[in-house]
Amino acid sequence: MSFLELAAVEKKYGALTVVKGVDLSVERGQLVCLLGPSGCGKTTTLRLVAGFVDASSGEVRVEGRVVSSAGTTVPPEGRNMSMIFQSYALWPHMTVFQNVAYGLNLRKLPADEVKRRVHEILTVTQLLPLEHRYPGELSGGQQQRVSLARALVVKPEILLLDEPLSNLDANLREEMRFEIRRLHDEFKYTTVYVTHDQSEAMTTADVIVVMNDGYIEQAGSPEDIYARPESEFVARFIGGTNILSGARLSDTALRCNGDFVLDCGSGKLAADGKAIASVRHHDIHVGETRQAEVNCVQGTVARQIYMGSHRDYLVTIPGGETIRAIAPVEVKLPVGDSAWLHFPKEKCRALSR
Amino acid sequence: MTATQAANGIVGEGRRKRVDLSIPTFVLLGGLLTILVVLPLFWIIFYSFRNDVDGSFTLQNFASLVTDSTLLRAYLLAIGMAFGVGILSCLVATPMAWLVSRTDLPGRKLIRILVTASFVTPPFLGAIAYEILAAPNSGVLNVLARKLLRQDSSFVMFDIYTFSGLVFAIACFTFPYVFTLVSNALDRVPSDLEDASAILGGKALTTVRKVTLPLVLPAMLAGTLIAILQALTMFGSPAILALPAGFHVITTKIWSLFQFPPRLGVAAAAAIPLLVITVMLLRTQKTILGRKGYTVMGGKSGTPRITELGRWKWPSMAFVLFILSLTIFLPYGAILKTAFMQTPGAGLTWENFTLRHWNFVLFEFSATQLALKNTLFLGIVTATAVTAIAVVTAYLVTRRSIRGAGYLGILATAPVAVPGIVLGVGLFLSYANPTFQLYGTLWILLIAFMTIELPAGYQQMSSSFAGIHPELEDAGRIMGASRLRTLWDITAPLLRTSIIAAWCFVFVGTIRELSATILLTTANTKLVSVIIYDLNESGDLGAICVLGIILLAVSFTVVCIANNIPVLGRARNVMPRG
Amino acid sequence: MLTKLIRTTALTCGLAITGSAFAEAPAPYDITPELIEAATSEGSVVFYTATDVAVAEQLAELFKSTYPGIEVQVERAGSERVFQRIGQETSSGIQNADVIETSDAVHFEYFKRHEWLEAMVPQEVADKWPEDEKDPDGYFAAYRAHLSVLAYRSDMLDEADAPKTWNDLLKPEYSGKMVKAHPGYSGTVMSATYSLVELLGWDYFEQLGAQDVMQVQSSTEPPKKLAQGERIIQADGNEYNIFRLQDEGVPITIVYPEEGTPIAVGNAGVLAGAPHPNAAKLFYAFLFSHEAQQLNSDSGGLRSFHPDVVEKDSRTPLSEIPLLHVDAEKLEAMILEIKSNYEKFFGT
Repeated sequence: MSFLELAAVEKKYGALTVVKGVDLSVERGQLVCLLGPSGCGKTTTLRLVAGFVDASSGEVRVEGRVVSSAGTTVPPEGRNMSMIFQSYALWPHMTVFQNVAYGLNLRKLPADEVKRRVHEILTVTQLLPLEHRYPGELSGGQQQRVSLARALVVKPEILLLDEPLSNLDANLREEMRFEIRRLHDEFKYTTVYVTHDQSEAMTTADVIVVMNDGYIEQAGSPEDIYARPESEFVARFIGGTNILSGARLSDTALRCNGDFVLDCGSGKLAADGKAIASVRHHDIHVGETRQAEVNCVQGTVARQIYMGSHRDYLVTIPGGETIRAIAPVEVKLPVGDSAWLHFPKEKCRALSR
Repeated sequence: MTATQAANGIVGEGRRKRVDLSIPTFVLLGGLLTILVVLPLFWIIFYSFRNDVDGSFTLQNFASLVTDSTLLRAYLLAIGMAFGVGILSCLVATPMAWLVSRTDLPGRKLIRILVTASFVTPPFLGAIAYEILAAPNSGVLNVLARKLLRQDSSFVMFDIYTFSGLVFAIACFTFPYVFTLVSNALDRVPSDLEDASAILGGKALTTVRKVTLPLVLPAMLAGTLIAILQALTMFGSPAILALPAGFHVITTKIWSLFQFPPRLGVAAAAAIPLLVITVMLLRTQKTILGRKGYTVMGGKSGTPRITELGRWKWPSMAFVLFILSLTIFLPYGAILKTAFMQTPGAGLTWENFTLRHWNFVLFEFSATQLALKNTLFLGIVTATAVTAIAVVTAYLVTRRSIRGAGYLGILATAPVAVPGIVLGVGLFLSYANPTFQLYGTLWILLIAFMTIELPAGYQQMSSSFAGIHPELEDAGRIMGASRLRTLWDITAPLLRTSIIAAWCFVFVGTIRELSATILLTTANTKLVSVIIYDLNESGDLGAICVLGIILLAVSFTVVCIANNIPVLGRARNVMPRG
Repeated sequence: MLTKLIRTTALTCGLAITGSAFAEAPAPYDITPELIEAATSEGSVVFYTATDVAVAEQLAELFKSTYPGIEVQVERAGSERVFQRIGQETSSGIQNADVIETSDAVHFEYFKRHEWLEAMVPQEVADKWPEDEKDPDGYFAAYRAHLSVLAYRSDMLDEADAPKTWNDLLKPEYSGKMVKAHPGYSGTVMSATYSLVELLGWDYFEQLGAQDVMQVQSSTEPPKKLAQGERIIQADGNEYNIFRLQDEGVPITIVYPEEGTPIAVGNAGVLAGAPHPNAAKLFYAFLFSHEAQQLNSDSGGLRSFHPDVVEKDSRTPLSEIPLLHVDAEKLEAMILEIKSNYEKFFGT
């Protein structure tokens, strides 16, 4: 039994179904990222876990006990969870200290205990000198850390983060990404983290759950998701890729548009319908000549850009598709010339959806 | 470990069957608002199709709207008056707003405060002040003019008992609507838009004409429409000034239909076009304010550009002072003088000084105490009830925690479209019957005031709620606070300022209400505004002015106290972001 | 609504009284210590009146000092509004008022017809009131009378230039100089309008309407407008307010045209089902007492039917003034016509 389980959870708003039968298991101490484009249902899923949203059907369980089901919802205040909000949601009428101490006071801890624990967490988050400031007097990064401190100080069973970094500028975002991972490694809270930024998910998560249109597309380790996508959506969403389509020849081979055979080293094509495969940009070999017997096609260079460390090619192949490929700087083919593309079998991933 | 135990406690608590008060609250509020708003309108429509004599169905009431030339004339005059007021308000308020918001005119802050003060003046009191000042023969200003210009008694400089006099007297107390909207808009027009024009070589005046003016045009129009609406639905000032001038506007005409023998059917039918016009004006205003250009007002690009007036400083100052004398100094001066002088026209000498009006009002006139008590009671109860309803409704609507909550918002805003006199008719028809027996009690007035003031209170509260990010409340919940606890600890302190502002707004609005009151009041439910009106009918100006001063003093005192009551904790005046 | 009024009252009190409604007046009553005691224990009395507020309040003061422990709540409005209010209240099943008084003769016929009044005859009324000035069935009696008079500011208009007859008011030189009260609001003016229409026809009012007349509501108001100097002639308005102003030293002269001056009789009565029945009975008797009537005359300037009341020398005795009386029945039939014609000629 996993620590946090979602079983066939659905959420409907009138005729609109936002979350469509989500199954998910999170082990104790794991950091799970819900990743997907906006409107994919990831935030609703998070709010279902938090208890802000009632489930239309299915169950949410924590340590085996049901906290949300179609009829009943344990309210957020009854779940011993914490949440960090996109807007930080710091209470403007309370000081940093009061913000952080609020949850502890609700738990009726003695005053000196409250003070000790607030100071402890403020020290960890390097906020101690600011404890008497009001949120309006803090920078964005400081507000973010107060929000973290407030969420962590109550030692929640589950920590929820809703796009916590989207309001920060790029440098700060990178820094906070590692900060969140560091704090997670230190406290080992079971964490559900919602983001639409794939690199944020890559750097922080133990498990990434890619969501699309209310469904879970794929869940797995960052490496699984990146290297072994199961669907076109996941392949496209995580890292740059080329999707080649054609007629199915076997479980792993297809005849692509442009009349060449692509034999994939992993994955499995859908049993019927359109056959598609994914090859990442930097896994394609570009050359003047044919480099192998199979998985090769000749095309025309449509664009070539010198990027310093590499060259970025767009090559149009006979079927009319344009393939993007990254080549070493030495491979220099002018626009309009012919180019051979080689898709190494072990790098080709057959997609089932 | 203590935290875990405590946490388990919380979890255990939460596992009890969840008591959700929002559904019953929703149903209760929905019912209440429906009764408040829909019932009177239903009865108006019902009676408008009913024959007064035998109770049968008839279209005669509506036919008389077209055939009865007195009704038609009253409508035309009312519409003419309202547009006159709107245009005059706009013409006066716009330059003043510009001077105050965008120039280096001295004393701008004080001017703003003074204009707001003329907001507080009940319009009927203003009208009476202008009777004292500008009655054609006895008016203080006319007497003065005659003396200065050495003219005989046939010389009349101002005559307030005319159509134009009425327009002027109402505009004096409606121009703040335009002023406030326009000056707020000017405060927020991003100066980079103007800078852009200046960089492109536009002269200062060109910039004003080509950039600033178009940007505040929606605010001007919206403010003007409010002024028009106010004038159209106003009862007190026309009753005081138009009747002596020998014409009815629609509100006084409807009121006169209640005289013996009452013609309820015609009164109800006559109220309906007023309702329709009001709804149309409000829709127009909404369209204007909702247009895309106006969203620029939300921008916050630095401080607005200040124009140096240079040699225009003193003429501008004179203009502002002139307007302020007309709206504040002269009326209040007249009221003060009349309260302490034998006759309004008497010279300002020590012999003419008297306290007899005070003596009469405070000790001899038996209605005073009761009226003051009723007024205070209704003011406080209405303000409290409306604020409470507004807070809960705004909470349900903005947080959308229940499906159909939007319906509550519509209901709470709907009374805006119901002019006071129409509501008075509706409430009279709804509750002045043996079933309810509410007529003659304070409750019917309470219902009227709550209905009239609800939109203002609701709009204020819902915009405040919209300003509080829902995540602030979510954060409270997830930290372990119940819905109510969150409301109390987090939402309430953040709303404190708005709640008090809304309360005061409703209170002041209530104690100056006359149009619905006039049809619903009885001996035991006298209000200060009504006895002022009654005293005006019997011409006791001195007593009126004393009562007016008392009324204003009480309003200011209550507002001051309200602002210093330590409810909901001391909130820091930091508004939440977002 | 009127039908409703009738239906309600018929249901509530009609059945019990109908049989005896128009019988002989009840036996007169005196103010006895028992009555005073019973009244005092009720503590207060509510008086709806159309008399000038200051006069009515003085009367209330006199009552309170005569019978300590009984509060008087004076509710003053124009006769028609008092009537409208009573109508609204009765139709809503509200019993607020104890004693009612208006200056519109029609009202009391109406009240009596609808059985809103309690018949009672104070001893003083039985003994001293002329037969014409009290209801034969004892439901009401003439509490006061006053004239609706033509008057002018004698300091602003020479006697020679002043109007002498009603038709004089139509002269162009008085245009813009007159003030008058409204028949839709004031019972006095309703009666006066009726009398003058009978005397001079609607022509008179049509032409008067073209004279730029300042229109006020209550008949107490034109004298006050004269005192303020707002207008110099009143086309109608209360005589008693002028007496009061004359006493204060305001130079106003009353004109009693030879054609006659309209007189308005202010009846008073006790409402059936009065919330304070004994206090009402006491107050009602007090209204007709010599002291009260003398006070009305002295400081109120009202005419009294009490033979012992002595009027001030400065006032023209009623006997020397040609009077225009009102036929209440005919007036009642003409109310709508008066209101609509009036609005046609005067705008409101």
